[in-house]
Amino acid sequence: MIHNYLFLSIILFCLGIVGVISRRNVFTVFMSIELMLNAANLAFVAFSRIHQSMDGHVLAMMVMAVAAAEAALALAVVILLHKHKSKLDTNVFSLLKG
Amino acid sequence: MFADGLFLGFAVLAVLGAAGLILFRHPMNGAMSFVVTLIALAGLYALLSAKLIFALQLIVYAGAIMSLIVFIIMFLNIQPSDLPKEETKLLYIIGSLIAVFPIGMFLVKIVKSLPKSSTEIIGNNFGGVKQVGLLLFKDWLVPFEIVSILLLVSLIGAVILAGKREAVK
Repeated sequence: MIHNYLFLSIILFCLGIVGVISRRNVFTVFMSIELMLNAANLAFVAFSRIHQSMDGHVLAMMVMAVAAAEAALALAVVILLHKHKSKLDTNVFSLLKG
Repeated sequence: MFADGLFLGFAVLAVLGAAGLILFRHPMNGAMSFVVTLIALAGLYALLSAKLIFALQLIVYAGAIMSLIVFIIMFLNIQPSDLPKEETKLLYIIGSLIAVFPIGMFLVKIVKSLPKSSTEIIGNNFGGVKQVGLLLFKDWLVPFEIVSILLLVSLIGAVILAGKREAVK
């Protein structure tokens, strides 16, 4: 049953949202975002299995490339913030708060 | 029947890994349990007969991206005292689960309205390198080029952000 795959994708996506909302560690928040991207990937692949067309596979590859770009930039920002504040708490990183 | 058992095993592994990512205090433990999720997802892609995505998930995600994250976590040499104190973590997790619940039920309702379809593994090179590659370079050529520009931009951005030395002092 293809529905089970989509249910699993929903569960993983919701767990990712929970991780972003409830945790304060930068790395955990970042990996929760990656978890949400992976849940979207699973939905893409499941839908492309339903329709037996491979467009979903191509989109999943695009999402992986975007995730790689995001990982490179986000980790650079984390290193910079850790250099400045030597903390990993997202509550400390409120530089834009006027 | 065998595929159903495999799906159940991979699904349980994926959810357990995701729960571990949320619950572990140290990011290294979280990253390791996230790797379990990624590998289980690769198995699910194989069950959905997406052969290329299965390989890419293992090589790019579980291999490259996660090793980059783990490398950065080790590079920063995080001590337990550096971690944020999260005394109210469980409270927040329960609260956000309650907040997310309606979204999840909404999505479940959408999925239930979809027509049923089987998940038997199909042949005909569905999801193979050649077929996906032909599709990628015929119908998806412009998005592919845009993604390549995005990767170049993120490369330059990462070098500019993390490469400065004198600006930090």
